[in-house]
Amino acid sequence: MEIKPAAHIKATTTSQKLAGLRRLVARFEPVVAQGPHIQTGFADIDSYLAGEVANAGLACGGLHEVVAARTGDMAAALGFAHRLAARFLDRPHTQDMLLYGQTYMSCREAGQPYGPALAAHGLSADRLVYIDGARLPDLLWAGEEALLCSAIGCIVLSSWGEAPSFTASRRLSLAARAAERPLVMALGAQAGTSASAATTRWQVEALPQQGWQVRLTKLRMSYNTMPPNEGWTLYPKTMSQHLPLMDSAAEIPGMAQVRAG
Amino acid sequence: MPNMSGASYAAPLATGRRIVALWFPYWAGETTQIAYDRTKSFALVERSKNAQRLVGLTPLAAQQGLSLGLSLADARALLPDLQTAMAEPMEAAARLQKCAYWLQRYTPWVGHDPPSDTRHAENTDYGLLLDVSGCAHLFGGERALLADMQARFLKRGITAHAAMAGTVGAAWGLVRFGSTAKTTPQARRQIIVPEGQEAEAVLPLPPAALRLSGVHIDLCQRLGLATVADLAGFARRELTRRFGPSPVLRLEQALGQAGESLNPCLPPPRFLVRHNLAHGVTQMEALAQLIGDLCTRLAAQLERASQGAQRLDLALTRSDNAVLALSLPLAHPCADGGHMTRLFEERLSRLSRGVDAGYGIEQLTLAASRTAPISQPQETMGAFEGGQTRNRRRAAPIAALGSLYDRLVSRLGAQVVVRPVPHASYIPERAVRLVPVLAPDKQTPDKQQRDKPEENLYARLPDPATRPLFMLCAPEPIEVIAEIPEGAPYRFRWRRVLHEITAAYGPERISPEWWAGLTGETPAHHNRQTRDYYRLEDTQGHRFWVYRDGLYDRETTQPRWFMHGVFP
Repeated sequence: MEIKPAAHIKATTTSQKLAGLRRLVARFEPVVAQGPHIQTGFADIDSYLAGEVANAGLACGGLHEVVAARTGDMAAALGFAHRLAARFLDRPHTQDMLLYGQTYMSCREAGQPYGPALAAHGLSADRLVYIDGARLPDLLWAGEEALLCSAIGCIVLSSWGEAPSFTASRRLSLAARAAERPLVMALGAQAGTSASAATTRWQVEALPQQGWQVRLTKLRMSYNTMPPNEGWTLYPKTMSQHLPLMDSAAEIPGMAQVRAG
Repeated sequence: MPNMSGASYAAPLATGRRIVALWFPYWAGETTQIAYDRTKSFALVERSKNAQRLVGLTPLAAQQGLSLGLSLADARALLPDLQTAMAEPMEAAARLQKCAYWLQRYTPWVGHDPPSDTRHAENTDYGLLLDVSGCAHLFGGERALLADMQARFLKRGITAHAAMAGTVGAAWGLVRFGSTAKTTPQARRQIIVPEGQEAEAVLPLPPAALRLSGVHIDLCQRLGLATVADLAGFARRELTRRFGPSPVLRLEQALGQAGESLNPCLPPPRFLVRHNLAHGVTQMEALAQLIGDLCTRLAAQLERASQGAQRLDLALTRSDNAVLALSLPLAHPCADGGHMTRLFEERLSRLSRGVDAGYGIEQLTLAASRTAPISQPQETMGAFEGGQTRNRRRAAPIAALGSLYDRLVSRLGAQVVVRPVPHASYIPERAVRLVPVLAPDKQTPDKQQRDKPEENLYARLPDPATRPLFMLCAPEPIEVIAEIPEGAPYRFRWRRVLHEITAAYGPERISPEWWAGLTGETPAHHNRQTRDYYRLEDTQGHRFWVYRDGLYDRETTQPRWFMHGVFP
């Protein structure tokens, strides 16, 4: 195949140049164009994925990274990762399990998943297998093993300080593609800048009023327009029956009194 | 002429068993002497009654006139070059235990004599009992079996008397009191009593051969009963009246008229494969290969019996007789050799100090110590599609999950791979427990039954949205500025970061479980005060779950605050 780089690089702005180069690279890269995919459940993200990305959704077979924007945002990043996991698991007539594994550091810093709260995020405690602290290499090994298991629908791994090497992420990415099962890797802010072969990388930042600012900083699928730099502002709904997750102080009479006093 | 009303003793029943009794008259001395000069006499001493006395000898020392109980000073007068060491009965017993395991090369059924649970520290009688029924032909017959056993002991410098009979009692008596051609201490007794001839062999022995207590032996001497035959000549009721029930029972046991069980050190597994090697293997690769072979053979055995292993025990015997034992629990009954092999590979690679093969591993034994029936052999489906990956993906979900659990547990550890199980408690951290996936789950035999109570338990808790998705392993103390006596925090410092609160919701009051004391559970120390939980959001949008421990002025004057969880 003859390639004419000039046609792509002759663009005027940097972003156009980059987009042209990305399209060029996309021709070499085996992209995830087929295979099952899901909607994330967030309308803004879904409309972008549906309109601009080749397979119109988030590929099930792939490594997806969720990175905390700041040190304190790990909970938000993990929350977003669990939301994605819930969508991946949400297939009819299956009882696939979620494997959630944490490194020792992540256990200590970010806390352990709490069974009674999982339901509010679309997950079931009955379908959770949890690795309560392991070294990162062991965790990656466990992830790869679990990708081969037909009873596991989604894998979420969480590491606080260290990220898998590029080789490791490439290996996991290939394994996930071959198995057509998703592996979501949640990384702390310090670990989130490493090179990686992930299909997507999401950066999550907590916003006041129970919001998340989610940016798609890496996308290894062929697409037409770049994801927006500023990302999307999301206000995830909890699956609560009667209570909002949080009210602002002013809205709660009791709280207002306390503040006034 | 003894009363012949006891003639019924002469007709023993065929037991169908072959018991070998081993007796080590110099066990403690000889096994300790290994570290000393063999050519000199050696004795073990112990301080008792203000004097050092001999409690263990070697044959050479015995030949030179020393005896047990002699004081060390007297012994030194006899033999100035006597070597001595302090007696360590616990160590001698441990060596005997090790020896019992080693003897499992002849038969899986090796028991202590006297039984290890009744052994006293001052007991210096060291013996073992082996049930070799059906084993002798593997070693070329009974005589060859005993000869082989004794030759191996001789090579290590251990005097081992051996007797084989159809009953434990007969073998025990013969090995200690049986006649032998030579009477020097070095001579090894080797007595084989053909089946059914226990009576002829036992009757000429002294009464002590019946495992009688010291009182009974004294009594026999005073009554002039020199042999078992003399004792057997009396009617049983006369014996019982004079001696109590024990001698009659012992007599009947020796003659095979009363049953006697022999407790082995370990229950012999039904599914067992072993590999004896001509030369010790030290290389891990070769070992892994051999373990793979064993797994395949065991899997074939299991499959023939429609059984699946729930627990595997691997024993690697080194050339110095040290045994490295590994055991693997399995999530589901498994008869898949490949799966077992992978688990052992993982397990061996994770040993903290590796496999210390020493001078080589000579014997590998793999046993399925717990099994359960499996409905059908696990077949690898879709072999025509090729590729191991595809095969494994095709396995039935339950089996697939089980084999994943096995692999994760064998590498990461049983306590690490867990699942949340609800628990009836209002204390948040106790409302759910992390239970190992391989933990036996008696109350929840199947999925349908399991789901119901769990749903109920979770349903009793407040709305899941009011609980944090991530709970800290333990509540962490925080420095809080808050309204007194009751109120949400204005700001707090957690992990050295100051958080300004912009929104708060609460309190949610959780009281200690007053009934916990009534049901026998003692509440944890930090669980005795009322907690007021608040959901907080700071200026940056981070959301927390904090509580004040204790009601101000009612339970405490200085309530402390804790961070308990984070919301996403």
